[in-house]
Amino acid sequence: MLGAALLIFVAGRIAPGDPVAIRLGDTYDERAARAIRKELGLDRPIWTQFVRYVAAAARLDFGESFIYPGRRIDRIVRQTLPLSLRLTALAVASAALVGLSLGVISSVRARSRLDRALQVLVVVALSVPNFVVAALLVLVFALWLRALPVAGIGPWQSYVLPVAVLAVAPTAYITRITRTSMLRVMAEDYIRTAHGKGLARPRIVFRHVLRNAALPIVTTIGLAFGYTLTGSFIVEIIFNIPGMARVGVEGILQRDYTVIQAVVLVYTSLFILANLAVDLSYAFFNPRIRY
Amino acid sequence: MSGQLARIMVVAVTGLVLAVSGLAATAGPAGESVLRIYMVGDARTLDPAVASDFPTASNGYLLHLRLVIMDGAGKIHPQGARSWNITGGGLVYTFELDLRAKFHNGKTVTAADWKWSLDRLAQPATGSGSAEAVLGGVVGFDAVRSGATNSLAGVRVVNPTTLQIALAPDGRGGFLNRLTSYNASVLNREEVEAASRDWHEKGAAGAGPFKLAAWERNVRFVYTANKDFVLGSPKVDRIEMLIVPSAITRFNLYEAGQLDITDVPLADYRRVATDARYTGQLRVFPRAQILFVGLNQGVYEPFRDVRVRRAVAQAIDTERIARTVFFGFYTAAKGMVPPQVPGVDSGMRGLPYNPDAAKRLLTESGWAGRLPPLDMAINPAAPDYQMAAEAIAAMLKDTLGIEVRLQRQEFAAYRAALNRRSVFPSFMQGWSAAYLDYGYYMDLLLHSRSGLNFANYRSPEFDKLLDQANTARSETEREGLYRQAEQMAVGDASLVPVVFTRWAVLVKPHVRGFEGSPLSLGWTDLTGVEIRR
Repeated sequence: MLGAALLIFVAGRIAPGDPVAIRLGDTYDERAARAIRKELGLDRPIWTQFVRYVAAAARLDFGESFIYPGRRIDRIVRQTLPLSLRLTALAVASAALVGLSLGVISSVRARSRLDRALQVLVVVALSVPNFVVAALLVLVFALWLRALPVAGIGPWQSYVLPVAVLAVAPTAYITRITRTSMLRVMAEDYIRTAHGKGLARPRIVFRHVLRNAALPIVTTIGLAFGYTLTGSFIVEIIFNIPGMARVGVEGILQRDYTVIQAVVLVYTSLFILANLAVDLSYAFFNPRIRY
Repeated sequence: MSGQLARIMVVAVTGLVLAVSGLAATAGPAGESVLRIYMVGDARTLDPAVASDFPTASNGYLLHLRLVIMDGAGKIHPQGARSWNITGGGLVYTFELDLRAKFHNGKTVTAADWKWSLDRLAQPATGSGSAEAVLGGVVGFDAVRSGATNSLAGVRVVNPTTLQIALAPDGRGGFLNRLTSYNASVLNREEVEAASRDWHEKGAAGAGPFKLAAWERNVRFVYTANKDFVLGSPKVDRIEMLIVPSAITRFNLYEAGQLDITDVPLADYRRVATDARYTGQLRVFPRAQILFVGLNQGVYEPFRDVRVRRAVAQAIDTERIARTVFFGFYTAAKGMVPPQVPGVDSGMRGLPYNPDAAKRLLTESGWAGRLPPLDMAINPAAPDYQMAAEAIAAMLKDTLGIEVRLQRQEFAAYRAALNRRSVFPSFMQGWSAAYLDYGYYMDLLLHSRSGLNFANYRSPEFDKLLDQANTARSETEREGLYRQAEQMAVGDASLVPVVFTRWAVLVKPHVRGFEGSPLSLGWTDLTGVEIRR
């Protein structure tokens, strides 16, 4: 975490661009700039700025935005993170449910016409950019059918389209990895034994095949969580959702150092937690794994 | 098994879609009229003194009160001041305040509040980049700006209803025009000093036509009409300003009936203009914005010769750019100042497009065939700049053989480099007005003392004309001097004017009284807007 903090701290300040110039806008004035730099502590040596930042962060004081005067970073995180997490969780849960189902179907009907059709769908889902998917869904469901809102977040209907867009790529990945993993396990001797013993097919598929194929699937779902959370900027812009990804990207574009640092720290922490959860789940799926 | 699962999934998804109901159009309580308008981004702050972005400025027009305001034709009208006298040879402005003006907490706005607000605007600790533009020339401004004192000696409380502002003899002219800037708004001192650093988020320090009811960050602003506004209650009860950065999303919201007004991006203008669905809804009006090419003589050595600069200017066919690149939506610029600015020479011819003259000038300068490649940085803020720059690059190559290398970079990097004035040999840039005044263009962009003189233009004769204009005894004299200065600046071709831009907006039929403005995002006054469904 400290390494990530140091890296992003230094990278932000080395990159060309000046938050004070952004804040002052077109009528940049040197005297005002000096006053703002002093207020933000940017007139101090960089190593002093870093030490002060780490010391404050240790007290969970992440300061204020450089671009939005008076706006506390902890408030920004409190207002944006739950929304992004909610969207991501819904998207990944939907992707896991649908992806697992399609992957199972695809594997038990391997090489059938249905399987081939699903494989084509997976490739399309992975190839089409999410803003194209978003535009199509908005056109059909919001503008033509008027069944769902164009943008904004509020009632549950407003979650449908952004969650659907976010879920497309992870669904495709999960479908593919489920199929591959299950096919690998289905070729094992103990599965043939299970068939030979006359066990019911659903029981073989869900209790024996899927459970033994779970590790790579769980890993993919864990990674999908991280990538969906950090990659939701386009969706947040198109659907006008005030989430953390949008705030983070805007922070980068405006050189809002404190926002960038906070977003990176939050995302790093969430990635670590997601990976930890995935690792711990291995013990559930494979009793031979012990920590 | 797999077929069963597939069937379950199809039913579930279909049911989900069919079960939802469309989002109802935003409506206030029964009988309340609500205007739903867009904003291109969240406001950085609601403190008008430090407003430097369009969202903050636009909110400032709703929330705050100025002494005077300017309409789209450049005419000054009273707002916080009911009348004013100009004496002392044009250097002393005495404002009689309108006692009906009240802050949103009910307190009457007095001269002391104006004095405190203007002092605060000038103080460097406030962090306003516009203080010089608005208050430059007021007696004592430099002392406040240098930190020697906190109070503008030239701003005086004569009595609770009379405010006097004195300008230095060499003070910048157009003072009334400058006071129409959103930066020059009055603030409720008690509210500002009693609250913490986020006082502006509560919106309680304003005295403007609307009161802030809610600010959901990155989502929307909600305003209610200030029934006690000094010039009368606005006609609409509530404004919901949706913060929508994406132009496509704004358009979709308008189509879905969730916005009453939206902008029409340049790329969509022709489609919308010919679409019968928008008949009667499309409004087009001029914007006080110029796009220009800056030829930086501080970086590119050939530009130190005025003949080279003139050659470049006369190799650019601005009429053709306006006609083809911008399909006639923008107009070719002959001068540096948009025609909406009071006193502008509407007959200015500027440096005409003349490729033969351009080649001749380049030959005379001795640089023909020897010019190094020219890097041209493009402002990434809007696609207009790149569109114009590509055409200009092609014209300079065809006519003068200059190899122009277009550079597009991220806005923060572009802005920082532009401010340094020593990085870009040339740049494609724009300038739009916070208030309509000759000085906002001439003084800020071209005076040698200005920190915004990005092209490093140095002309003692030009500076002298501007200094004379700023000490002129009458508006007529001032405007005459500025016209001369503009002619000189255009002839010196440090900044080459390309096009003046326009706005296109869609306004729903039930919205009446919307008046476009050449300033800001196309509107500055929503008090006259009505909703008639």
